[in-house]
Amino acid sequence: MPAYKLTYFNGRGTAEIVRLVFAAAGISYEDVRLEQDKWPELKPKTPMGQVPILEVDGTMLCQSNSIARYVAKQAGLAGKTPMEQARVDMVMDVMDDMGKKGNAVFWEKDEETKAEKKKEYEETFLPQFFTCVNKLVGDSGHFVGDELTLADITYFNTTNLVGNYFKLPNMEEFSGLKKVTEHVTSNPGIAKWLKERPETPF
Amino acid sequence: MPSYKLTYFDGRGRAETCRLLLAAGGIEYEDNRLPQEQWPAFQPKTPFGQLPVMEVDGTMLCQTNSIARYVAKLAGLTGKTAMDQAKVDMIMEGAVPLFQKAGDVVMGEGDEAKKAEKKKDFEENFAPKFFADMEKLAGDKGYFVSNQLTAADIAFYGNYESIKDFVTLPSFDKYPKLKKVVASVQANPGIAKWLKERPQTAW
Repeated sequence: MPAYKLTYFNGRGTAEIVRLVFAAAGISYEDVRLEQDKWPELKPKTPMGQVPILEVDGTMLCQSNSIARYVAKQAGLAGKTPMEQARVDMVMDVMDDMGKKGNAVFWEKDEETKAEKKKEYEETFLPQFFTCVNKLVGDSGHFVGDELTLADITYFNTTNLVGNYFKLPNMEEFSGLKKVTEHVTSNPGIAKWLKERPETPF
Repeated sequence: MPSYKLTYFDGRGRAETCRLLLAAGGIEYEDNRLPQEQWPAFQPKTPFGQLPVMEVDGTMLCQTNSIARYVAKLAGLTGKTAMDQAKVDMIMEGAVPLFQKAGDVVMGEGDEAKKAEKKKDFEENFAPKFFADMEKLAGDKGYFVSNQLTAADIAFYGNYESIKDFVTLPSFDKYPKLKKVVASVQANPGIAKWLKERPQTAW
């Protein structure tokens, strides 16, 4: 069993998807939460000057989705066939786009522009976006196949994170997405992690 | 044999990495180049209103890197072990900001002054750092991962090639390993043929 060491700041952010996958997979890992003042020293040692990174037996991986996918494969959570895997990837990517768009609004410096963009994001973009994502959910209540995959977990995580900063539409309207959320939060490993994970501002 | 149909605009842009992978894998596909005036009618048929999309026996995939990774699997270019695949993924994902940031410089919001500022920041800060990071990750023999051609090399090349005419990039003379990666990609027989025969487009 290799030793997994995940390093990120003390928050959910872009590392949380990896922590959720480890939890669902039942794989233990070292959850290193970096103090801000330790970051300048670590930064040049990382492949692209960013965290999260995952160290596995001496190799350092970066890019949260690549790390998540790597861990998910260990536990069969990445999709069973190349087409299933592509559909899992697709959901991860669209959720990423949604998160990044929200991030751009959050970091907008001009107050007036920010207010406009926030309104557009909450009132126009998100309802349309969730309508499209809802269409991708199968009758099983999963995005791909009949079992939990990284697609379901990513949907839950990104929506959860975005919902901390923005007003989400009425999610009751999206019956498929509701089922996905139930599947994710009732996964034993994830349920335990959600209860026990550190409370952090981001 | 499934049928593959890749739809994008008539340009390299985001789709070229996928086309290069299809070429490297010797995979036949329909290279559907949508004229701009047909886009409004086609857009609602896509999962998220964006291109490229790839149709495989009726299923429509979107998201450039998801399509690229799928094609890489068909072509045997994803890396052999789980760790190699993770390293390939990491570089495919890491290569995207080069395209996105350059795209924002050229087509993004802002007046002339703002655009000039973004261009300066891209050319003087982002691009040199990007190339330096990628140089460290590249192997000595012209490949990013396990001394053989993978989607990592092709994605680096595809993203770089799609933007190189629109922004000033650092010279490869400073980045000899990346220069070899470019040469490896261009020397792959399927890709070399495609580079010679593909439609010539402005972008």
